[in-house]
Amino acid sequence: MPPQSLPCPASDWIGFLRQYGPIPRNDNMYDEVIQRTLERKKLQPITFETKYLNELLDNFRSASPKSVILTGTAGDGKTYYCREIWEEFGGSIADWQQDTKIHQLTLGDRQLVVVKDLSELTSDEKQSLLPQIATAITGENTPIVYLIAANDGQLVEAWAEADQNGGLEPVRQAIEDLLVGDLRESEGFKVKLYNLSRQNAAVLFPRILDAVLNHPGWGDCNQCAYQNQGCPIWQNKQRLEGTEASRTTRERLTDLLELCELNQRHLPVRQLLLLVANTLLGHPGAKDRLLTCRQVPGVISSETTSLASLYRNIFGENLPERRRESTEVFKVLHGFGIGVETNNQIDNILIFGADDPELQSPYTDLVLADSFYGANSKYQAQQRSYLEGDTSNGREAFLSVLQTQRQRLFFTIPTERITEMKLWDLTVFRYAGEYLNDLYRFLQEGKKIPKPIVSRLVRGLNRIFTGLLVSNQDELILATSGSYSQARISRVYEESVSVARKRGESVSVELDRIRRKPSLVVYLASESESEVKPIRFNLTLTRYEYLSRVAEGALPSSFSQECYEDVLAFKTQVFKQLAVRKLSEGENGDAEEAMNIRLLEVNSAGIASERTLEVYF
Amino acid sequence: MMEILPRPQQFEQSQLNMWVDESIWGHRLYDEQTPWLCILEMLCITQSEAGNGRAFVESKFNELKYHIYPRLYLRNILFNNPHIEAVATEYLDDSERWQMWTDAISSNVGGLTSPDFSYLKSRFESFKDFAEIVKFLQSSAIEGDSNKRWSSKFVFPYGPDCLYEDLRVTGDKVTNDRRFFGRTGELLYLMLCRSGRGEEILSRLESTGIITRNYSRNHRGSKWNQLVLALQSPTDRDAPRASGSPPYLPYEKLPDYERLADDWLSILGCDLPDYDALPHIVTITGLHLIIYLLSRAKTTLGEPTPLRFVLEIVAPKKTTVRELASDEFQKNNNLPQRSIEHYIRSTVDLPEWKACLNSFNPVEDAIDLLKERFAWSAKEEELDGSGSPEALLNSLRENAVKRHQQHLAKFHGSWAREIGLSSSRGSRRTRYAPTDSLLRTLVFASVPTRMEFQEFLAKLHEKYGFIIGDRQAEDLINSGDADREDFVANSERLERRLASIGLLKRLSDACAYVQNPFASEVK
Repeated sequence: MPPQSLPCPASDWIGFLRQYGPIPRNDNMYDEVIQRTLERKKLQPITFETKYLNELLDNFRSASPKSVILTGTAGDGKTYYCREIWEEFGGSIADWQQDTKIHQLTLGDRQLVVVKDLSELTSDEKQSLLPQIATAITGENTPIVYLIAANDGQLVEAWAEADQNGGLEPVRQAIEDLLVGDLRESEGFKVKLYNLSRQNAAVLFPRILDAVLNHPGWGDCNQCAYQNQGCPIWQNKQRLEGTEASRTTRERLTDLLELCELNQRHLPVRQLLLLVANTLLGHPGAKDRLLTCRQVPGVISSETTSLASLYRNIFGENLPERRRESTEVFKVLHGFGIGVETNNQIDNILIFGADDPELQSPYTDLVLADSFYGANSKYQAQQRSYLEGDTSNGREAFLSVLQTQRQRLFFTIPTERITEMKLWDLTVFRYAGEYLNDLYRFLQEGKKIPKPIVSRLVRGLNRIFTGLLVSNQDELILATSGSYSQARISRVYEESVSVARKRGESVSVELDRIRRKPSLVVYLASESESEVKPIRFNLTLTRYEYLSRVAEGALPSSFSQECYEDVLAFKTQVFKQLAVRKLSEGENGDAEEAMNIRLLEVNSAGIASERTLEVYF
Repeated sequence: MMEILPRPQQFEQSQLNMWVDESIWGHRLYDEQTPWLCILEMLCITQSEAGNGRAFVESKFNELKYHIYPRLYLRNILFNNPHIEAVATEYLDDSERWQMWTDAISSNVGGLTSPDFSYLKSRFESFKDFAEIVKFLQSSAIEGDSNKRWSSKFVFPYGPDCLYEDLRVTGDKVTNDRRFFGRTGELLYLMLCRSGRGEEILSRLESTGIITRNYSRNHRGSKWNQLVLALQSPTDRDAPRASGSPPYLPYEKLPDYERLADDWLSILGCDLPDYDALPHIVTITGLHLIIYLLSRAKTTLGEPTPLRFVLEIVAPKKTTVRELASDEFQKNNNLPQRSIEHYIRSTVDLPEWKACLNSFNPVEDAIDLLKERFAWSAKEEELDGSGSPEALLNSLRENAVKRHQQHLAKFHGSWAREIGLSSSRGSRRTRYAPTDSLLRTLVFASVPTRMEFQEFLAKLHEKYGFIIGDRQAEDLINSGDADREDFVANSERLERRLASIGLLKRLSDACAYVQNPFASEVK
């Protein structure tokens, strides 16, 4: 039956979902607009559990509620939280949607004042409001509590501006400290600061995904004839859902988002929704590059369904370059280089798999098995023409298809074959899998991380700290150049710190208490000696990759100048604490051991040791 | 009008045939003296004066006299010692090595009559140890890798025993030819004297161990100072040489001096380990001397607009900001020469000049006037055929410009490059484009603990006239020379750069703080 003849009912839900995508009028960017659309189309909202809502409600319900400041990146859900709280305490939606900037509500014997967006206020309004807020924050048992949404830059500026005649300084300082120090509360101030940018995308994403995939709106599709006739939207939905047995695609995508967070690239809720919408609906031939139901028959008949592949859409490949580069989530995901990076094994399978008997089995499993986005007839034809050295035109086309296939493989190689296929070679972070599973997740479960990992990190650090190709890995070598501690080559041996716990010294990888992210910690003395503080180095994905690669032979400043500088700064911090330790041990270095200097010598096995040079003088 | 101090009665007439550059900037800013060498010269003076209990105190203006050490044993060992490595690897026993090396260096040594290196052997465990230490000190030397003559290379200033002067050595003769210690360090010293912050700076320098007030015979100082001392013969401590004619710094007081000293104190006040503050001191001094050069030029020209530097934060592609940064570099580069031409030409407005023109003997009188005003003695050939005072003045102008172009005109360009303020990367024209290390210095000098990013930009603008972000570029934007987006993008690049070298913390898409990781008061 030719597909064209089938009726194609347009689903309201798909139309609504599309509004979340990267279209020019990205209507669902704003909570206000979403609420109106939902009402008009009689749709259920996309709902999922958010991190702080219950905590916030509890605060306002309590006997002595504190004022709350919500900050965060655009799209983190500040307005959403405000509205939810407003409704919870009996505020009406109609009132909320009126064009006032400040809303008021009775909260027991208090007033709750909600400021939807601080930046919307004029400077005069701020001048009068901020001192009142300051009173509420510093005062005892005040009759008014505030809920203020502001993006943090504006927050700081607003306070600085309002404080021109002084008086607000303590409050301004307190808020700044909370912001910069990543803290929730500060002693003596009745205010809580929630930085919504601290919501972990990897935690939110599965919830958002479930909320979208399980939305009742999909019910429309059951009436659609295209559901099982090659509709790419439905196909993408199925694949994103996965099956009981295998949820590889969504797991890998969540892994990527987790890695982004660990690499200090925060993705707000709005970007995650955009990602989901684009993944499901993207197609470079569609209007605004996102499919509507009406376009599905055309896509099928023109045999371009493979261009709607979710594996491409995840990276925004359906979008024009400029648009992709200006969209945060795609910019961040693009940073993994998936599609461009590869290894021989994977490319051999993709290119020669059809003909090489040795590659036959993985080729069948990984390529032939997927006739929808994998080895469809078009792919096979292009592959053949590439191998036979046909026109250069076809060559380019195949190379771009190859890229798409690598992207597909990244999301579909089964978990048990990750090691064998070297899955993470498909990204620029070769050590990302190890970082995520053997380091981060180990730490989360409270386990010790494998010793080879620590050894490798220490070896990397030693190479950077000394500027010499050393292989020491059981101790951290602290050396200077004698003059400038940040010099590239440091041969003056000062001290070494045992990696294994020894007299209070150790080097370990731990989860940071506040941020819950891995950091490498150097202890110079047991924690009871409070003067000497442990030195922490945020072990982001990039830094982990950097240290690992340096340990395996890359030159310290060749891979990343940025990381190199970071490590040198870390070294300086270690030296600072070393000086504190010396002082507290009453070591007066210069007077006593004045006349010997210790230089590092590296033997043929790459092990550095100190050599003392005596001077009698 | 700022008070200009009188020209010294006598100066090295042999080397100076006019007093033009000097009257505006002093005697003198010298392009071939790198910022590092400027600091070294200044440290030598400071040590000498501190030893005499008058560091940073100028009892009479422009009469600075001090003592400076030649330390020729040390310098021969460190920088005029090509045999040491070969001897160390010879298959000999230790005393044979010492003997072989002593013979070798004695034949090669410069500036010393009847040199005696016998003091060394007993101080080291073995010749190899000695060679190792020499190699180490060479590796951290200032100008150690340059192709300058050996007597213009300097050991790192670990302490008072590492300070010595630049010299010209021929055979056993030693002369001070001011080749690389060209008095810029003397001017710097005077500026700090006149900043009113001398005492504080001295005590900061003392706590780094570089300078001491008690430089007695048995002073030993820090470990590194002692190590350098161990290479010196007892005679190296004797016989410092007296400095030559005093330097001249024209202005008694300038806000520039205070700003310079304040930045010194900010950097020295950071909690930096060891000698880490020193490279930043060098860089910030370079910047302040460039500002001094240009702002004096502007004042001389009578230009009321503040000095301005458009800084491009290097972009991958050509941008409007890059164009502007090149233009601005060129404009500033021309300021000094324009100012001396203006200064000379302004003679015609003087009543004395008018009197000359109307006098009985106009040319003779003009010669006298120019001699008095510019200490210019026109040579015979320059007077030839110049029948009028006008022509005479032109001839002076031409000569002054020619002289100016030899060194002072290059100061802005070469110092800006040295401190990492300018670059010609990806372009044929030089422009202001700061390096990472300059940015780091700026943060240490301007951010006590942390500072909101926009505030930081405003501060750089206020202190140094740097234009990086759109709010500082208001004039350029209003005049249509640039779009706001160009400068917004420029400041975004700066933000990324600062973040990448650990000096900036981004809170969200709208808020960032510049942080000084070595702030002394950090909680």
